[in-house]
Amino acid sequence: MNTATLSSSLPLRLALRELRAGLGGFYVFIACIALGVLAIAAVGSLSASLENGLAREGRTILGGDLSFLLSHREVSAPERAFLEQQGQVSVAATMRAMARTNDERTALVELKAVDAAYPLFGAVALQPALALSAALARTGNVFGAAADPALLARLDLAPGARVTIGDATFELRATLQSEPDKLGGGLGFGPRLLVSQEALRATGLLQPGSLVRWHYRIRLPDNDASEAAVRRITAAAEERLPEAGWEIRSRSNASPGLERNVERFTQYLTLVGLTALLVGGVGVANAIKGHLDRKRDVIATLKSLGATGRGVFRIYLTQTLLLASIGALPGLVIGAALPFLINWIFGAIIPLPLAPALYPGNLALAFAYGLMTALAFALWPLGRAHDVSVSALFRDEVEPERQRPRLSYILSTVLVAAALAALAIMLAYDRRIAAIFVAAAAGVFITLRLVAGLIMLIARRAPRSRSTILRLAIANIHRPGALTVSVVLSLGLGLALLVTVIEIDGNLRRQFLAALPEKAPAFFFLDIQATDAERFDAFVRARAPGAVLERVPMLRGRIVSIKGVAAEDIKAPPSAAWVLQSDRGITYTDQVAAGSRVAVGDWWGPDYQGPPLVSLEQKVAEGLGLKIGDSIVVNVLGRNLTARVANLRTLDWQSLGINFVMVFSPNTFRGAPVSHIATITYPDGSTTENEIALLKAAAVAFPSVTAVRVRDALEAFGGIVTNLVMGIRGASALTLVMAVLVLGGALAAGHRHRVYDAVVLRAVGATRRQLLLAYGLEYLLISFAAALFGVAAGTLAAALVVIEVMNLPFIWLPGLAATAALAAIAATVVLGLAGTFTVLGQKPAPVLRAL
Amino acid sequence: MNDTSALQRATPAIALAGVNLSLGRGAARVHILKDIDLNIGRGEAVGMVGPSGSGKSTLLMVMAGLERPDSGSVVVADQALGGLDEDALARFRGRNVGIVFQSFHLIPTMTALENVAVPLELIGAPDAQERATRELAAVGLSERRHHYPAQLSGGEQQRVALARALVPNPAILIADEPTGNLDETTGAEIIELMFKGHVERQTTLVLVTHDTGLAARCDRVVRLRSGRIEPSTTRAAVPA
Repeated sequence: MNTATLSSSLPLRLALRELRAGLGGFYVFIACIALGVLAIAAVGSLSASLENGLAREGRTILGGDLSFLLSHREVSAPERAFLEQQGQVSVAATMRAMARTNDERTALVELKAVDAAYPLFGAVALQPALALSAALARTGNVFGAAADPALLARLDLAPGARVTIGDATFELRATLQSEPDKLGGGLGFGPRLLVSQEALRATGLLQPGSLVRWHYRIRLPDNDASEAAVRRITAAAEERLPEAGWEIRSRSNASPGLERNVERFTQYLTLVGLTALLVGGVGVANAIKGHLDRKRDVIATLKSLGATGRGVFRIYLTQTLLLASIGALPGLVIGAALPFLINWIFGAIIPLPLAPALYPGNLALAFAYGLMTALAFALWPLGRAHDVSVSALFRDEVEPERQRPRLSYILSTVLVAAALAALAIMLAYDRRIAAIFVAAAAGVFITLRLVAGLIMLIARRAPRSRSTILRLAIANIHRPGALTVSVVLSLGLGLALLVTVIEIDGNLRRQFLAALPEKAPAFFFLDIQATDAERFDAFVRARAPGAVLERVPMLRGRIVSIKGVAAEDIKAPPSAAWVLQSDRGITYTDQVAAGSRVAVGDWWGPDYQGPPLVSLEQKVAEGLGLKIGDSIVVNVLGRNLTARVANLRTLDWQSLGINFVMVFSPNTFRGAPVSHIATITYPDGSTTENEIALLKAAAVAFPSVTAVRVRDALEAFGGIVTNLVMGIRGASALTLVMAVLVLGGALAAGHRHRVYDAVVLRAVGATRRQLLLAYGLEYLLISFAAALFGVAAGTLAAALVVIEVMNLPFIWLPGLAATAALAAIAATVVLGLAGTFTVLGQKPAPVLRAL
Repeated sequence: MNDTSALQRATPAIALAGVNLSLGRGAARVHILKDIDLNIGRGEAVGMVGPSGSGKSTLLMVMAGLERPDSGSVVVADQALGGLDEDALARFRGRNVGIVFQSFHLIPTMTALENVAVPLELIGAPDAQERATRELAAVGLSERRHHYPAQLSGGEQQRVALARALVPNPAILIADEPTGNLDETTGAEIIELMFKGHVERQTTLVLVTHDTGLAARCDRVVRLRSGRIEPSTTRAAVPA
C-alpha cells in the first residue's frame, strides 16, 4: 500500500516542498538545459518554417503547378500537344554562356530565356521598374535583357551597356532584383541574365547536343488545380509518353535539392545542439550531486521516518524532472519564437520563404531531448541517494562515499542514454552519419572521463613537491570534489566538437581554395560543337602550348529504371541517391579515362560492337545495388536505351578532372548529336593573367563555347560553404558557452571548500599572491589537460571524417586548433581566478569562528 | 507498576540477543557493541547512559533498524529485523518506531505541520493533515503550524520533532539526547511532553541521555561502557 501511495502524488508533493527553498544551486542546471533545448527547438522550428514556406510557395518556386524538364531538346509536337491540353504552358530555357563586352572582357552567365507567359506565378522585380516584356523586347538588332547586378559589377558596366552572347547583342536595360522561381533552379556558377526566347535563338547557341535545359511549366485551370489533378497528369504523362525522358516535378516537390539541404543542415545543427546538451549534462550531474550532498540530512531524516530508498529516489527524481522542465520552458519559448522574430526582422531581405508557426512536434522533440539528457546525467547521482545512510544523523562521522549506485540505477542510466542515442539516430536524415556522430560523442565522453580519472591518479601519485604552492595546486586536482572531472569533461567535449568543425572546415577550404591540387584543371569548356572540336584542339595547342587538354563527348541522361525497377521507386542511401535525382552528365569512350581505374569486371575492347555496355562508379553502383551484368535504362535525347553493366570504376573525384558516373561503350551513341566538354590543365602552373588571356581569346574564337574558370567556380562554391560553416561553427561555439557555464557551476559548488582552504592557509601565513598562484596553477593544469585531449579528440574526429567520409587527404591545421584551445584555457583560468578573488577577499575571523 | 504492565513486559517490545557490531574499515575498524543481551518490556521506559563512545547511539540505531549487527538477533515489536531488507526496514520504522534526535532534523523546506505529517504521508494515511494538526496541538504548537523550522526556537523545533515521532502512534519511541541542544527549562518541557506521550499511549520509550536526573525518571537505567552493558545496572533503578 505504501509503495503504491508513494508512486502517486507524494513524491511530487515532497519534491515541490523541497523547491520552496528556491532554485539556488540549480541555475547552472537550468541554464544548461535551457540553452540546449533552445538550440534544438530553434533549429527544429526554423527548419520546419522553412520547409513549410517552401511547400507553401511551391508553385512560385517551381514556376507552375507542374514542371517538365528536358535536357538538350525541346518538346516534340505530340508532347507539346499533351502539355497544352493540361493548362497554360510557359517555357523557359536555361544554359550557361559567355557574355562579352566590346573590349573583350568576358563573364560566365546563367542564361535564362523566357516566353511571354513567364512567370506563371509570382512576379519578376526589375530596377528600373519596367514591364518584363519591355525589358526583354527587341529593338532593331539588339535584344533587351535583365541582368543580376553581380554581372554589371563583374564586368564594370552601367545599366544600358551592351554585351554580346554568341551571335546576338544585348542591351542590359534593367537589373534583376528578384526572380520568383530562383530557388527551384539550384545553384549557378554565374550571375543570371534574363532574355527572351527569340534572343536565345538569335545567339546561335542552340546547337545539337548543346547543354540547354528546357523547362515547361503548367498552370492548371483554377477550377481543377487539386493535388489529384497533379497526380493524374503526372501519371498520364508517364503512361502516354514513356520515352519523353522528362523529369516531372510538382509544386509539392518544387525544390527537392534545397529541401534535402535544409534537412541535412538541420540534422547537423541538431547533432551539434545535442552535443551542447551533452556538455550541459555534466552541469546537470554536478548540480544534482551537489544538491543531494547538501540534502543528506534531509534524506536521512526522511528515511528515519519510514521513507524507502526507492521512495527517496522518486522524490528527487521528480524534483530533477521538474527542474529540467523549468529549464526547458524558456528554451522552448525562445526557440518557438525565433522563426517569427527572424521573419519579422529579416523577412524582407532573406531569399528564403519562411512560414513561421508553432511546430509542436519539433518543440516536443526538443523538450524530450532536454528531459532525457537531464535524466541520463542525473540518474547516477540520484541512485546514490537510495543508499544514504541514516546513521549520519546520530554520528558525527564521514562515511566512505559509495562510488556506484545500485545496478538498477546504472542500468537505467545506460537505458536512457541508449534511448537518447537511438532517438537522435532514428530521427536523423542520414542515420549512418548520425550513428557515427553519436558513437564518436560517446567515445570522446568516456575517454575524457577516463582521462580525468587518470589526471587525478597522477596527481595523487605525484611525488610531494617542495613548493607549497605546487603541492596545494596538485592536491586540489585530486581531492574529493575537485574540478578535474567537470572541467575535463565539459571543456574537453566542447573543444573536441569545435576543433572537429574548424579542422574539417579548414581542410575543405585548403583543399578547394588555398591549395588546388596541382593536377586540377584551370578551365572547363562546355558546349564545344563536334564540328568545332578539331579547331578547338588546335586553338589550345597554339595558345597554351604547355597545357594538357582533355576533351570528351558529353550528353545529359536520366536513369529511368534499374533492373526493371523505376528510378522513383528505388530506395538508395544518400551516397548513391543523388544519381537518381536528376539528369547526369554521361559520356562514351573506348578506353579507360584518366583519373579512373577499373575495379571490378573488364573494360570493353576498342572495337566493341555488341549491345550497349556501361561502366559505373563503384560506390554509386554498390549504393544502387548494381552488379556486373545488371541492366540499366537511361533516357538520353528523348530515347530510352538499355545498357548492361560491364565494369565498375573507382574515381579520383578530388582531381577535379572530367569524371562521369556513367561511361558507355562508344557504339551506344553512334550518330547522336553531341557536344564536347574539355579541360585544360597547366602541369607547370599558370598565372591569372595567362588564364584571363586564354579566356578572352577563346571567347572571341568560339563565341558559343562556355568557359568556366575553376578558381572562380570554387570561390563561388566557397562562399556558400562559408555561410553554412558559419552556422555550424556558431552552434558549436554554444558547446563552449555551455562548458563555461558548467565550469562556473563547478566553481560555485566548490566555493565553500575554497573559502575554508584559503582562510585556514591565510591564518597560518599564506599570502594572497601565493594562494592566487596556487589556484591559477590548478586551473591551468586541469584546463591544459582538458584542452590537450579535446584538441586530440577533435583532430582525430576531423581526420576520420575528412579521410573516410570525404575521401580527401587530411592535414592538421594546428593554428586553428591551438587558438581554440588557448581561448578555452584562458577562459578557465580567468573564470576560476575571478571566483577565487572573492575567496581571497574574505575576512578570516568570521569564517574561523564558524568552523 | 501494576500487574497488567508486568504481564506485558513478559513479551518484550525489544529483544536483543548476542548483538555484536563493528564499524569502520581495516585498521580503523572498531568493535562498538559487544555481546549485547537486552530485553525491554512493552510500555517500559528505559534510560540509557554511559560515557561518550560507549555505544549508546549505536545501540539505538540497531533497535531502530538503522544499523545491522554483525551477529546476534534483534526483535522489535514482534518483528525480527534481521529478515527485513532495507525497504522493509524503512516501512517497519515508519509504522513502529518514532525517533527524536538531539539536533531535531526537521526538514527546512517544510512547515511544522508538513514535517509532522510526513511519516503519515509516507505510509499513505488519508487523514495525515488532520492527525498532524492534532499532534501539533498536543505539543502546544497550533499557532505555529505554518511556520518553517528556521522561524521556530530550538524548543519549538524539538516539540515539532516529538510530534512527528509520536504521530504514527509508534510502538517504540527512541530519543537520542533530546535535550542536549536545549536550555534547562525548555529541555524540561520537552521531557514532560515525551513522558506524557509515553504514558498516555503506552509507548515503549528508550532514551539516551547524559542527564542522570532524567535517566532516573525512567523505569530502568541501562549503563553502557566500552560497548558492553554493565551487569549491575540492568535492573530497575527506580523503586515503584
